[in-house]
Amino acid sequence: MNLIELLDNSSGTWPDKPALIEGESAVSYAELSAQTKSLAARLAELSITPGSRIGLNLPNSVAYVALTFALWRTRAVVVPLPTECTEEEVSEITGSLQLDAILGARPQSGSAQIGAGLFLTACHPPVRADNHGLDIAFIRFTSGTTSARKGVVLCHDTVRDRITAANQGLAISADDVVIWCLPMAHHFLVTIALYLSRGATIVLARHVLAEPFLAAIQRWRGTVLYASPFHYGMLARHLAGGGTPTVRLAVSTTCSLNEDIADAFHARFQIPITQALGIIEAGIVCLNLREPRTRWNSVGHPLPGFSVRILSPDDAGCGEVAIRGPGLFDAYAAPWLSREELAPDGWFRTGDIGRVDEDGFLYLLSRKTAVINLAGRKVFPEEIESVLNRHPAVRESRAYGRPHPHLGEVIEADLVLDADAAALDSVRAHCRAQLASYKIPSRLNIVSELPRTAVTGKIRREVIAV
Amino acid sequence: MTDAREIEASLLDFMRREVFAPDLELTVETGLVAAGFDSMSLVRVLLFIETTHGFWIPQGEINAETLRNIRSLAATVLRLKHAP
Repeated sequence: MNLIELLDNSSGTWPDKPALIEGESAVSYAELSAQTKSLAARLAELSITPGSRIGLNLPNSVAYVALTFALWRTRAVVVPLPTECTEEEVSEITGSLQLDAILGARPQSGSAQIGAGLFLTACHPPVRADNHGLDIAFIRFTSGTTSARKGVVLCHDTVRDRITAANQGLAISADDVVIWCLPMAHHFLVTIALYLSRGATIVLARHVLAEPFLAAIQRWRGTVLYASPFHYGMLARHLAGGGTPTVRLAVSTTCSLNEDIADAFHARFQIPITQALGIIEAGIVCLNLREPRTRWNSVGHPLPGFSVRILSPDDAGCGEVAIRGPGLFDAYAAPWLSREELAPDGWFRTGDIGRVDEDGFLYLLSRKTAVINLAGRKVFPEEIESVLNRHPAVRESRAYGRPHPHLGEVIEADLVLDADAAALDSVRAHCRAQLASYKIPSRLNIVSELPRTAVTGKIRREVIAV
Repeated sequence: MTDAREIEASLLDFMRREVFAPDLELTVETGLVAAGFDSMSLVRVLLFIETTHGFWIPQGEINAETLRNIRSLAATVLRLKHAP
């Protein structure tokens, strides 16, 4: 199958219903489907062929959605390039995933215009990417746990399967109005694509502040919220402006909720926040639909079709969470590693440490790997260290997350310098040039040496200097 | 005592360096939201204020009035800094 069928089916069933609302203007399903057809024709004219890997470097917008489906209509592979990426990061992704072209809002030399403020720039990879005979819809670039990064490869059938599975829990229908605030470059498949496959209306909210977000919920009679704890915290502490009686489901994802926010949000809106376990390798695996209020810190039970297992549990029952179910990723792209090679028994190891209570509720406790979670954005310390280590004044470095009461964690780094402390300004400028702004350590500490493990000499990640 | 001008200058310097594109002509009166200030920018600025001034701006204070521009944000920082 091709995921464009999901949109075309909705367009056939609900042609006049608003698919997307941006500002004051609504785009109906029929209009969205028509937009994808004309964009696909234009892309084909520009030699975008099936299997081409195309980077999508745009902020949340109707155009973002239309281009994703238009690329699927041409059977091209969509690779989101988050707009916060620096030029260096974009060129690294372009090279390692062998992108054929990038769609973005800025013209480059040799760009072709494909719409208002939309430009296609060819990348001319030295070797064309090998899709290994798969019908790939999507590759999500993620920083890996080693310095080599990986792209998560998802085929059309895989995405359809995870959408079907996720909706057993979310129960999105044509009666739903989803108020959207997360970056589409990080969240699209079991969210935007799912909502559109079920005829829901998506409102693109301006999300910096609580007021416009709350106003959008009330104005458009929102029924579903899908946001991070940071957004819920802002809403909960915004006391003016009335309630949200139309909301039936408020899902929290991207990082663990804390009790303050769970309580404050419930007190303010009388709606519990439902935690989910959503990962790019599997879609939405768990959703706490049964007891979101009383067991607010659980991600709940596996959705139908999914199984969860705790590997090598300790005395308290805590161990690495492994999952099995529909719509698991097909491969990693760079270097290519198939799911069968990575998870021959069908169990994917998530890297999260968790436990399951006597009633089957799953609780996530920490990451096995050292990933830093800054207000829901995942940042790999190796990526920051590799940038720091390229600076001539830095002999070695260690980046880590320091627990923070409002953000989950914040990024700090310890540096061993080959120069005096005056070099720090230059190190900061180097970070700004090389790293998306949220990945820049908020504190750089000069130390005389880094803690290391005795055996391998590797930098110890569990030690956080106080 | 740190006054409003000093706070404005430090916020302006930080946002020029770490939040907005270098080609944007940012002043203390530039409308932040219209200039593209998003929730990750907000996180960066709240962390900067916490690091420089030693306190976290409560979420109840983060509203359209506070985040209108750098001048209004600096005024909020100053008021909270001297709050009893």
